[in-house]
Amino acid sequence: MNALIISAVFGVIMMFTGIFVKQKPVTRNIAIAGVALLLLVNILEMSGIDFFKVHTAGFMLFDRFALLFNSVAFGSTLIYFILSAPDMEKVGHYYADYFALIFFILCGVVLVASFQSLLILFLGIEIISIPLYILTGSNKRNLISNEASLKYFLMGAFSTGIMLMGITLLYGATGTFDTQFMNIETEGTSALVIAGMLLLFFSMAFKVSAVPFHFWTPDVYDGCPTVFTSFMATVVKSAAFVGFIRLFYDAFGSIHDDWKLVAAIITALTLLVGNITAVFQQSVKRMLAYSSISQAGFMLLGLLALNATSKEGIILYATAYSLATIGIFAILLKMNDHSFESFNGFARQQPLLAGVNVIFLLSLAGIPLTAGFLAKFYMLKATLESGDFLWLVILAVIMAAVSVYYYFRLIQAMYFKEGDGNAIEVSPGFKLMLVIVAACLIVLGVFPNLLLNWLYF
Amino acid sequence: MIDLLQATVNSPGTTSASYLPIGLQVLFVVGLVGFLLIITHFLGPKRQTAEKLETFAGGIASHGDARQPMAINYFLVAILFVLFDVEIIFFYPYAINFRALGWDGFWAVMMFVSFFLCGFIYIIKKGALIWED
Repeated sequence: MNALIISAVFGVIMMFTGIFVKQKPVTRNIAIAGVALLLLVNILEMSGIDFFKVHTAGFMLFDRFALLFNSVAFGSTLIYFILSAPDMEKVGHYYADYFALIFFILCGVVLVASFQSLLILFLGIEIISIPLYILTGSNKRNLISNEASLKYFLMGAFSTGIMLMGITLLYGATGTFDTQFMNIETEGTSALVIAGMLLLFFSMAFKVSAVPFHFWTPDVYDGCPTVFTSFMATVVKSAAFVGFIRLFYDAFGSIHDDWKLVAAIITALTLLVGNITAVFQQSVKRMLAYSSISQAGFMLLGLLALNATSKEGIILYATAYSLATIGIFAILLKMNDHSFESFNGFARQQPLLAGVNVIFLLSLAGIPLTAGFLAKFYMLKATLESGDFLWLVILAVIMAAVSVYYYFRLIQAMYFKEGDGNAIEVSPGFKLMLVIVAACLIVLGVFPNLLLNWLYF
Repeated sequence: MIDLLQATVNSPGTTSASYLPIGLQVLFVVGLVGFLLIITHFLGPKRQTAEKLETFAGGIASHGDARQPMAINYFLVAILFVLFDVEIIFFYPYAINFRALGWDGFWAVMMFVSFFLCGFIYIIKKGALIWED
């Protein structure tokens, strides 16, 4: 509850900061302080200190899973602000308003991570989506940004409509919005429940860009200003996943056997299409968009397995994926263009940046000693524990090997190709922060329990 | 007959058949509207003239195309009006329960009004209501 109220209030504070504060560094520091405060109060709530005693009447449940994910989301946002907030200045004139919108998105993230009623899920998804439509189109003079915004809006509105239809059918069948009290029978489940569940499944698959509902993703991620793509592909995507898993864990756990084949097929398609298409991309930004689809495939394994390991896995995966992707985007933002060629000879000009970039890419590819490896390991372990999807595990491992190809293409460009590339200027603070992020990835890759123990203690 | 029109969905043992009353009401509503539309078509007087077939038969001859670009200020003012107007509606239930809600209700409404004022100050400071540039 702490984080929910303070994030909303901070959104309003940032709106007024835009009016009363003209210096951009001051605005930025207020935003960074705000996210740090959010992280702090959320950690306080995890240790039992709650500032606002609000009776949620079964609409929300702030359990360890929700709170821990909130901490991960706020931590990622904090790192994102420190690394990339100066680059938001280039997007447009409304610097403080971008921060305000991001705070409102964080408010939605809290709702989606801790909902218990389907109404709150819907509200949270909308609070996340609507500011994102604006951020996607924030580069107002750029036609591609406008196109991306419109596309995202239409697809988002459409999938939200599907979600509402699903919620309606479920309400008709069970008479409640509360996911804990739906009591769906394992035997002889009514057709209304199955239809409602499938509609919810499809709409959530839209939001997490699972194949075959992924067509908006590359265009939107590519057209959106790169700073905001970074946020959209990491924090928002993992939040949608946490909502997805929470929904199916609470409401449809009893009919797991009925939908796991559908989930398996969608997972297999997502892994296949995401990875194979990413191989053919010429722009790093677009490659990262497809890589986000393929990483979504791995996160879907957690949904498919639906056990305690998958809950741990999704937290670890969200952390590893968010940190690495935010880092790569922060470096990409400093480049003049987004092609693979612009990274030629990068290691010679910026040895430190190239080094941390390698760590991020290794983590995304899932090489041991990085958090990305353990995250993938937890997902595969969860799938094996749930039984009967050995073929999917084998496919996932093969696809992880395919992903090595396109991640290593960037490493190859940085280290083994000659080129003057772009001489870029970065501050020592930026370098330090990137080193810290890389260190986090390695530490989590060796001691994942530093993070996961928070789920239990 | 009354039982047929009352849906009891909150009791245990709710099935999709419990929604039959709602279906009946929908049928009734659609039937009534359709019936009224058809019956006025046959009963009402008719005088067909060329002017009556125009889109807006207001007496003034229409000219030009309505699809012209309009100043964004019109839309801005319209949307802000809707926003604040709808917020005012929330005062109505409070006014009815004014005595029963006591001081707690008063502070809740004060909080609401202060949010409301924040939004108002924001749009004024942002210059959303300035017409001349």
